[in-house]
Order: sequence, then C-alpha cells, then structure tokens
Amino acid sequence: MELTLGTAANKIIGSTGFSSLTLGDGIMILVACVMLYLAIWKKFEPLLLLPIGFGCLLANLPLSMMASTDSGGLLNFFYQGVKHEILPPLVFLGVGALTDFGPLLANPSTLLLGAAAQIGVYTTLVGAVLLGFDLKEASAIGIIGGADGPTSIFIASKLAPHLLAPIAVAAYSYMSLVPLIQPPIMRWLTTPEERKIKMEQLKPISQTVKIIFPIVVTIVCCLMLPGVTPLLGMFMLGNLFRESGVTARLHETAETHLINIVTILLALAVGSSMTADSFLKLETIKIIILGLLAFCMATAGGVIFAKIMSKLSGGKINPLIGSAGVSAVPMAARVSQKVGAEEDQSNFLLMHAMGPNVAGVIGSAVAAGVFISLFGDITVSSDQAANTIELISNITALP
Amino acid sequence: MDPIVITSLTVSFIAILVIFTVLIVLIYTIKLLVRLIPYEAPPAAARAKPKNSANAVTPDIISAITAAMATHLRKSPKEFYITQIHPK
Repeated sequence: MELTLGTAANKIIGSTGFSSLTLGDGIMILVACVMLYLAIWKKFEPLLLLPIGFGCLLANLPLSMMASTDSGGLLNFFYQGVKHEILPPLVFLGVGALTDFGPLLANPSTLLLGAAAQIGVYTTLVGAVLLGFDLKEASAIGIIGGADGPTSIFIASKLAPHLLAPIAVAAYSYMSLVPLIQPPIMRWLTTPEERKIKMEQLKPISQTVKIIFPIVVTIVCCLMLPGVTPLLGMFMLGNLFRESGVTARLHETAETHLINIVTILLALAVGSSMTADSFLKLETIKIIILGLLAFCMATAGGVIFAKIMSKLSGGKINPLIGSAGVSAVPMAARVSQKVGAEEDQSNFLLMHAMGPNVAGVIGSAVAAGVFISLFGDITVSSDQAANTIELISNITALP
Repeated sequence: MDPIVITSLTVSFIAILVIFTVLIVLIYTIKLLVRLIPYEAPPAAARAKPKNSANAVTPDIISAITAAMATHLRKSPKEFYITQIHPK
C-alpha cells in the first residue's frame, strides 16, 4: 500500500477519536467529569462515583471500544458480570461480612421499620407508571427507594436492562445525598420532644443466635421468595463467615479485598453502560426525579411508622430511627444519630438506628424478591405445579 | 382510572403485604431464638485481666492516644507530646 504524506496524515486524523466525536459523546464526557468532580472534591460516594464516572468517560471516548455494548471490549467483559447477575450478589457477600446483626437481634421489632421504608419503593412504582413506564420498568425504578445500589442494579438488569445506567446512577447519587435529603424530612415529621426520646440500652445477644440467624433467614426468606436467593443468600453467607468464628480468612477476604475488587468491576461496568444513546433521553430525567421521590417517601414512611411505634410503645422509640429503615448502611443510621444529637447531645441513637438500617437491607432485598416473583422468570411449569398440588393433597389426605 | 395504574396499586398493596408478612415471620423467629438461647455473660474470671497488665501503659496505648489527640486537635503528632497518663 502506497502512503503519501497527505494520505498518511488523513488516515491518522481519521483514526483519532476526535474525528468521530459527536455532541452526545461530548455531553457524556462532561457528565463523567461532573461525577468525577463530585466524587473527588465533594466526596459524594467516592468509592462508587469515581469508578462509575471513569467508566462513563471511557465508554464515551469514540473508537475506544470501552462501552458495555462494544462486544469484545474490556468493559463489555466486566458488564457480563452485571448482565448475568454475578457482581451484585458478590457485593452483598462483602456487605454481609461487614454487617453486625446484633442491634437488630436485640430489638427485632425494628425490622418493621425496614419494611415501612419500602413504602418509598411502591409510591415510586405508581409514580413511574403514571409517567408512562411499564410495570417491569416501574418496578426497577421503584427499587431505587430501597437505597441499595446492588439491589437496584440486580433488579434493573433483570427487569429493565435498558434503564440500568440511569437507575444505577440515580441510586448511588441519592445514596450519597442521604445526609442532605433525610434531615429536613425527619425534622418536618417529628416534634422536638420526640427527637429527644432516649432509648433503652440494647441487651446483649448470644453468639449462637448470631450464628443461627443468617441460616434461618436464608431458609425462611429464600423459601418464601426464591428470586431473592442470589442476593440474600450471599448476604447471609457473608454474615455467617463473620459470626461463625471458624472462617476468619474468608471473612477478612469478603469484607476487604473481595468487596473492593467487585466494587471496581461493578462500578466500571455500570459506568460503561452510560453511553449517549442510553443516557441522554427524557426517561433519564424522569428516573432522576422519581429516584428523589423514592428516597423522600422511603424516609417519610420509616419516620411515620416509627412515630406510630413510638406512640404504641409509650414513647420508648425515638421516631428518628425510622429514617434508617432505608438501606444506605451505615450512612442513614449516622443521619439519625446526627439529627438526634442536634436536639440533645447526650442522646446516642446510632446503635438503635443500626437495627432498622440492616433491616432495610433485608427489606429491600425482600421487595426485590417480590418483584422477581411477580415479573421475573421464576415460575414453575404447570406440570411441576400440578405435581406439587398433588403432593400436598396426598400429605393432607394421610390418616 | 387507567388499568395499568390499578394494576400498579394492586402490585404495591400485595408487595407491602408480603414484605410485612416475611419480616413479621422473621421477628417472631428472632424472638423465639433469643428466648431459646439466652445471652450468657462470660465468667468473671475470663473477663478480668491481671491488674498489672490492665493498668500498664504500653507503647501501643500511647500511639493510639497520640493518634486520637492528633485527629481531635487537627495537629501533626510531632507538634505535641504526651507527658502523663493517669490510668483510672
């Protein structure tokens, strides 16, 4: 092939990314830079926003083959971990290894606050339907209200993969904004007297109970909602590593190196799905708005339910711990502590708020399980169903 | 009202019901577990350490106190030094 200076220069210029840069790419590069700015200088969930932002930057550099849709590209391989639902459960394994269920076991009624905060999920679901999304899409958007990044990604990849990028970005962005979103709602819904309520010290829990708990939760919840098994099963396995006392090396790996590696892969994969085609749409703006509604309603739902519990218990529960019913561990619990301390510096709510906070993780996983049961592919064949019904009839017919 | 909105309301109602059911089952499971396996404090002998080692101010303790003070005062550890520690 003959190359003159002119054709060589043209060829090189044509092979640079600049020649293929579109307006959409430019806007997405700007979005990536804003995310990097928020992560590095404003410290908004830097562990997630930084790799997501950088993944977004890489994905929008033309001809670099780094978008999640570029078959054979590096980030396409990472994205397989999201597409095939591998990475979110592995994050849950690490989160389980980091979680202490002690406060929840000491005050199990706080599990109800984890359930109440899921109201945000369902009000958002209805809101999303009103804005024109179908039920599967609305479910994936609604789960943002669970304030749980891996669960949001898990559900979005299962029910609405085309909305994964905006849902993940909305979930993680609002999670980082929990300290800004929650306090005004908490103050608005509670009186100064309620915020001053001091809760009784939590009673200690036997180590055996802590070991049995993850096993029991796995059996009970995964039998009730099989769709949630990848998430909840890994969460409880991680916790069992922690509490069993016989797998110190696995526990240490799960809570440090594994979760860090998986977070890098997951965040880059999510970032790589933020291409101009998938992100610069009217739907993205709707999802961002609905995400905010989800967080606000989840916070309000938790606080209102905690107020009811406070009244019923004769003022033994501080309603501020209700807001921790959204997942966002441990940030939401810290917010409860901070708002409580503003009213009375000697009031320590942190450990009390950790109960609903970890209950929120279970609650959002259960909410996800309900969506998978309703809209996912987990169904038994008619033959299997008939066999099961026959088996139950035979058992009940036994003398 | 649009049928899809009614469906979404139905889904929401059923889902909340399921979540509360699952979590109430868990609450009673926990209560049962805690009742069956109550907490037992470790024996006093195992908890108490020899007085000398408990009160001893080791270099590790000094390092920890220095680090905490440096964070609290927002100063470098080189800018101050601890002269006395009175164990209670």
